[in-house]
Amino acid sequence: MSTSKSVSVKKLVKIFDGSGGKKITAVDNVSLTIEPGEFVTLLGPSGCGKTTILRMVAGFEIPTAGDVFIGGDRVNTLTPDRRDTAMVFQSYALFPHLNVFENIAYGLKIKKMKSAEIKAKVQNILGLVGLSDLETRSPNQLSGGQQQRVALARALVMEPAVLLFDEPLSNLDAKLRIHMRREIRKIQRQFGITSIYVTHDQAEAMSMSDRIIVMNKGVVEQMGTPKEIYATPASQFVADFIGTANIIPSTVTNTSDGSVEVSTLGTRFHVKTQLPLKHGDEVKLIVRPEAVALSRADGIPAEITSSVFMGSYQDYVIAAHGQSLLIVDSDPANHETFEAGEQVFLVIAPHKLHIVK
Amino acid sequence: MNIIRRNLDELRMILRDPMLAATIILVAASLVLFILWPLYEVLWEGFVTDKGTITLQYYREALAKTENLRTLANTIWLGIFVSTVSTFVGFLFAYADAFLRIRFKGIFNMLAILPIISPPFALSMSFIMLFGQQGFVTRTILGLKETNIYGFEGLATVQVLTFFPVAYLVLAGLLRQIDPALEEAARNMGASRGHIFRTIVLPLVRPGIANAFLLVFIQSVADFGNAMVIGGNYNTLAAQIYMQAMGNYDIKGGTALATVLLTVSVLMFVIQKYWVGEKSYVTVTGKPSRERELTSDPLPLFFVGVPCLLISLFILVLYALIPYGSLVNLWGIDYTPTFKHYQYVIDIGLKPILDTTWLSLISMPITGILGMVIAFLIVRKKFFGRGLIEFSSLLSMAIPGTVIGVGYVLAYNKEPLILTGTATIIVLSFVFRSMPVGIRAGIASLQQIDPAIEEAAQDLGASSFKVFTSVTIPLIKSAFFSGLIYSFVRSMTAVSAVIFLVSASYNLLTVSIMSQVDGGKLGVAAAYSTVLIIIVLTVTGILKLLLGRMGVDVSDVQGG
Repeated sequence: MSTSKSVSVKKLVKIFDGSGGKKITAVDNVSLTIEPGEFVTLLGPSGCGKTTILRMVAGFEIPTAGDVFIGGDRVNTLTPDRRDTAMVFQSYALFPHLNVFENIAYGLKIKKMKSAEIKAKVQNILGLVGLSDLETRSPNQLSGGQQQRVALARALVMEPAVLLFDEPLSNLDAKLRIHMRREIRKIQRQFGITSIYVTHDQAEAMSMSDRIIVMNKGVVEQMGTPKEIYATPASQFVADFIGTANIIPSTVTNTSDGSVEVSTLGTRFHVKTQLPLKHGDEVKLIVRPEAVALSRADGIPAEITSSVFMGSYQDYVIAAHGQSLLIVDSDPANHETFEAGEQVFLVIAPHKLHIVK
Repeated sequence: MNIIRRNLDELRMILRDPMLAATIILVAASLVLFILWPLYEVLWEGFVTDKGTITLQYYREALAKTENLRTLANTIWLGIFVSTVSTFVGFLFAYADAFLRIRFKGIFNMLAILPIISPPFALSMSFIMLFGQQGFVTRTILGLKETNIYGFEGLATVQVLTFFPVAYLVLAGLLRQIDPALEEAARNMGASRGHIFRTIVLPLVRPGIANAFLLVFIQSVADFGNAMVIGGNYNTLAAQIYMQAMGNYDIKGGTALATVLLTVSVLMFVIQKYWVGEKSYVTVTGKPSRERELTSDPLPLFFVGVPCLLISLFILVLYALIPYGSLVNLWGIDYTPTFKHYQYVIDIGLKPILDTTWLSLISMPITGILGMVIAFLIVRKKFFGRGLIEFSSLLSMAIPGTVIGVGYVLAYNKEPLILTGTATIIVLSFVFRSMPVGIRAGIASLQQIDPAIEEAAQDLGASSFKVFTSVTIPLIKSAFFSGLIYSFVRSMTAVSAVIFLVSASYNLLTVSIMSQVDGGKLGVAAAYSTVLIIIVLTVTGILKLLLGRMGVDVSDVQGG
């Protein structure tokens, strides 16, 4: 096993030629570092530049400016075949003319490994992904999930310094996706391979990553652990993209060290923040749906506009002070439920609130 | 600034991979050397005097001659007439193929293959055998003494019968793509069959009709063989270039005409590729959800199905006349069976047969590999000059053979490349004449393959060369081998360019056949033609058998 390596990109820029001579800046001055053995997700909507970064690390695209380092070595001019990376493709990209065994053995053969060794390695990896009995099948005889495993095995067997995942689960159905999420994470931990995972699915990012890098329009919006990103989003975009958020316009009415007082929804909240704010600043209050409880007794007056039973939770839309809020009661069996049209009161836990500019 | 930076990026990308860089340079050099340079020679030759001064004299002379102007008018009128009729007939066949419940549809595809595997002027020969001075119809049945099949009527009819399958293939492809659900939706809203045809089917294939028209037009104006054999006094550019350059030894006059013909063809090609070719409504509707319910209404059966079957039968008879004619004593007069024409072929003329076959076999792998490499570069690689490679390789499809023939004569009879009279020049002309079809097939099949598959291979450590040989080629092998077979067939039957290049040391089959027809020896010409067709069928049959054993499907080979 080759040892796991760090990956970093410095001031990376990629400009594509669009139609009609237009320049499209896909990646705009991005710098980031991924430690050896770390599982990092590049998360963002389509067109945010996450796949372009991945492809520059793999060597399929040449940076317009900036540098790519793998294990401290600058690899800008290395072709993909000479980089110690292995990619799992969105479309799996299995070789249709080769069977499962030959697909996985392809890279090993290029390394001129002895056939006995190849056989042992392929069988070992097939066992790991649970496909031992399918080695003579051709890719078109496999289900989507099985193809996905072959693609993973084909990358893993190379024992690369860096594993690259380009939305590998987006073609699977919801249940299988959740299952594969766990499998990939388990295997990655087992091998300790540095991994960069590209996805637009925030649940995937949350459940798998050591660290998430949220991207939008070619720039990094925020880097952090899943917890940090969820609890303290750096921008309205991140708050909105990760989970569900009620974004409520508010005005700063008082400031003190490490917290501010904001006015909104006809009341005032004390919220912890490190943002340099002053009296009168317009900010956005981020209220997660689970930060609000409904009560008949006391709080901010509101009216239920919709109430939907979702099985494990109850989904509400309420109106208060001209704002519309999403609220989730995650334990409806133990709480009183409300119907549309009912007048209620909102109880908001101040320690769950967060402020962005 | 940005352009410079982008080009530098591309340059760096290529330089990272010396094998790729070398390939690109080689391909570009070969296209420049064997397509663009001869064309440049043709264009330039008409502007310089023997002493090297620049002049417009030859063009002025060429365009001032009423004879030449009539030739140009003839060519264009013939093109318009033949394209119109061919498109109409092609549409009938396409309609019958897609909509009618009739038998023997397999014949339609055969009609498309026959002109490819036989000498390009085969139908002219058959026509002369039927309607010429010793024609079976004119002389044997009707007993006419004075008949003249040579001229516009004969040439136009033969061209229509030879080229309408081109229109048929284009239109049938389009009609097959129309989702029957569209027609059902219209019918559901109360439209009659005729109304649906006028308001749904016809508008959807309109771009295809323009496309078919232009493709036939390009073939008609470039047609050399039929014009020579049955054109008579109806002069066309393609034939006139040859007679001027080779018959009258007036190469300057020939190149002036060649420039005119080239202009017409390239213009049509550009219109076809960049204007009409882009327009297609059918793709918008996606793939048909299921197959169309075929109709057996008596009306369309009678007005479309029956004519199609009759035309098919007629064409089959025409082709059958060739082997038959090779087996009778003296066509039109004495139909006693004999092998004497074959005896004659064996006695005096085995060399053209062997030369043609060997040279075609040598060209075959060169064409196939070069074609696939070019297709790969065009579809998969970004580099400076890719547009030029794509354009010049596809352009050569539109260049009439006689023009390229003149170009080769001009370009390769002087330093630095003296090739006149060699086998090399013939192989080169075979390669660059039949390559565009291979490139097109390669491009089409590459575009259907996810580029990620090749990226995956490279990511796993394969070099560009290894990716090409271990992944790309296996994935497009059916297009590759189809290209090989097509290249062989096309080389065997080529005449328009190579007729300028044959010499005492290397004579070709098609050229021999033409001179036999010219000399009135129809029996010998028919025998040669039959031998040609047998060689083509045997070699392609063996290749298909071998490939079938290897599990390669080349059933789409006739498509070219």
